[in-house]
Amino acid sequence: MPKGKKYILDKGNLQFLQHRSTWGEKLIRISLFFGVSLMLTAAYGFVFDRLFGSPKEELLNQRVEVMKLRYSLLERKIDYSSEVLADLRATDNASYRSILDLPQIPASIEEGGSGGTFKFGDLTGYMNTDMMVAVRSKFEDLRTETNIQYNSLNEITAKVEEWKDMWEHLPYIRPVNVIMPLGEGIRFREHHPVLGTPRWHFGQDFRCPIGTEVYATGAGTVYATGNGNDGYGNKVTIEHGYGYTSLYAHLSNWVVKPGQKVKRGDMIGHSGNTGVSTGPHLHYQINLFGEHVNPLSYFADNLTEEEYFQMLDYLTSPSH
Amino acid sequence: MPRTKYKFNHETLSYDRIRLGLKQLVLKLFAYFVGSLFLAGLYGFIFAFIFDSPKERALKREIEQLNLQYELMNREMDNVEKVLGHLQETDDNLYRTIFESEPVPSTYREGGIGGVNRYEELDGFTNTELITETAMRLDKIRKKIYIQSKSFDELIVLAREKGEMLRSIPAIQPVSNKDLKRTASGFGLRIHPIYKISKFHSGMDFTAPTGTDVYATGNGVVKTVKSQRRELGNHIIIDHGFGYQTVYAHLDAFNVKEGQKVKRGDIIGFVGNTGLSTAPHLHYEVLLNNRYVDPALYYFNDLTADEYDRMAEIALKSGQTFD
Repeated sequence: MPKGKKYILDKGNLQFLQHRSTWGEKLIRISLFFGVSLMLTAAYGFVFDRLFGSPKEELLNQRVEVMKLRYSLLERKIDYSSEVLADLRATDNASYRSILDLPQIPASIEEGGSGGTFKFGDLTGYMNTDMMVAVRSKFEDLRTETNIQYNSLNEITAKVEEWKDMWEHLPYIRPVNVIMPLGEGIRFREHHPVLGTPRWHFGQDFRCPIGTEVYATGAGTVYATGNGNDGYGNKVTIEHGYGYTSLYAHLSNWVVKPGQKVKRGDMIGHSGNTGVSTGPHLHYQINLFGEHVNPLSYFADNLTEEEYFQMLDYLTSPSH
Repeated sequence: MPRTKYKFNHETLSYDRIRLGLKQLVLKLFAYFVGSLFLAGLYGFIFAFIFDSPKERALKREIEQLNLQYELMNREMDNVEKVLGHLQETDDNLYRTIFESEPVPSTYREGGIGGVNRYEELDGFTNTELITETAMRLDKIRKKIYIQSKSFDELIVLAREKGEMLRSIPAIQPVSNKDLKRTASGFGLRIHPIYKISKFHSGMDFTAPTGTDVYATGNGVVKTVKSQRRELGNHIIIDHGFGYQTVYAHLDAFNVKEGQKVKRGDIIGFVGNTGLSTAPHLHYEVLLNNRYVDPALYYFNDLTADEYDRMAEIALKSGQTFD
């Protein structure tokens, strides 16, 4: 724009008048300027965006990449936890469920329909939908598996308590610290040594001097004591539960009362020669649901006297 | 501007018409162009600042959802990991209760991803990976040499007599135990489950559900098939020749008869809980010239050196037997 004032020719007066743009004219000029520049902006912006993408876009893209990285790390965590769970499940199946007679838990849960209330529909329509759905469904599976394992362990823990309790009650030791049992458990005798008639012998005899300590072979409740005038002499019977009762006969005395709770290894009396008996010995019987069973199936004869005492020490110690 | 404009020429004292030369016109247009570009830049900046392009909007929405899902799962993941830790503890306690000894840590015990880093003292050196890799290889070789040398003495005797021997002597585990999870109490002094005293355990126990297949561990002849309620319960004895016999006890049922010839891998019976046994399991014995030997030395066809190590550790630590 050339410097200096401008003049226009006033044709009416034939004079040169200084030209001053009116506000109107200035306004028009300015708005025209802005208008065109706006149009140009739009044009430039369009072209630029097409060609390069804005820096904001770049930034956002980077953030998306960071999120994808995080997702892959999360996925690794999930995978690892799934493996830990699978390992736990395998241990449970092999070690605990087989011992406790519980059914095995299968290795994999059904595909799809993993339960839960998550709607995968919420994730559709995004650029990274596939990734989000993949990770999320792995995660939901992990949660389901964790729940299953949690319940499984509860089931096992309860059963273990039962199992331990049962094994404390079953009549599973020798009732006296005597290695030589007489005869071979249940057998039919043609001539009863005292009565002379053929009779069944329903228990296992242990020859031992009068006064030998007799121990409860499993935890339980004393059912009956005393002399029932039935040939057994002084006897004690213990109820162990799980169908088992044990009987200790020909005793010289007893030191428990009916209804008393005993533990394995508790002394219940002393052996003797009472009742129908040819000599000092302990007659020991085990009944399972009323049926006589061979007591020799319930302990091995491979404990030395010393080992027996060690065992008693452990069984009767207060911490046990 | 349609109207002609004049400029006052101070020299000639007259009014000259303003004519825009081409150069000036171009300059003017150029200036106009630059100015508008500048303004465009300004607009663009402001516009971009305030508004988002559709692509940007899509991206923002994307990030929002990604973040939402991630935060949710991350938070929940913390809970899950806590529960898992608790479950592992519970599992350990169950082990202690049943086996009356400390569980051998599984490969997943040390926290974080990847398990135990036995070679961490090597981290931090340059070429760490190379060094670690080499140390690991040496470890493997060392173990292989150990197991090789143990079996070697046995094998050297047999190798002299060729194939039949190698097919006959016990060489695999008597039940399927690829992941070693069925390994229970091993050979030697162990705690008796009922008497709670230390007694010599003449064989090796494998926990497994009742009915699990039991395999003959070498070729041979079935010497004994006995049903009984006492001690070993239902059991099978196989004579392999070359001084070797194997015993499989507490079985639920038999699959062979006395006198029958069997091959390694034949199913001879099924795991049970018969005889003096506190739980379903297989009690497996190996006898050489009528003396009990450690069955663990006779799985060489079945286990790698690493697996052997791990099995030996579990069998040793498992304090209480089931029989």
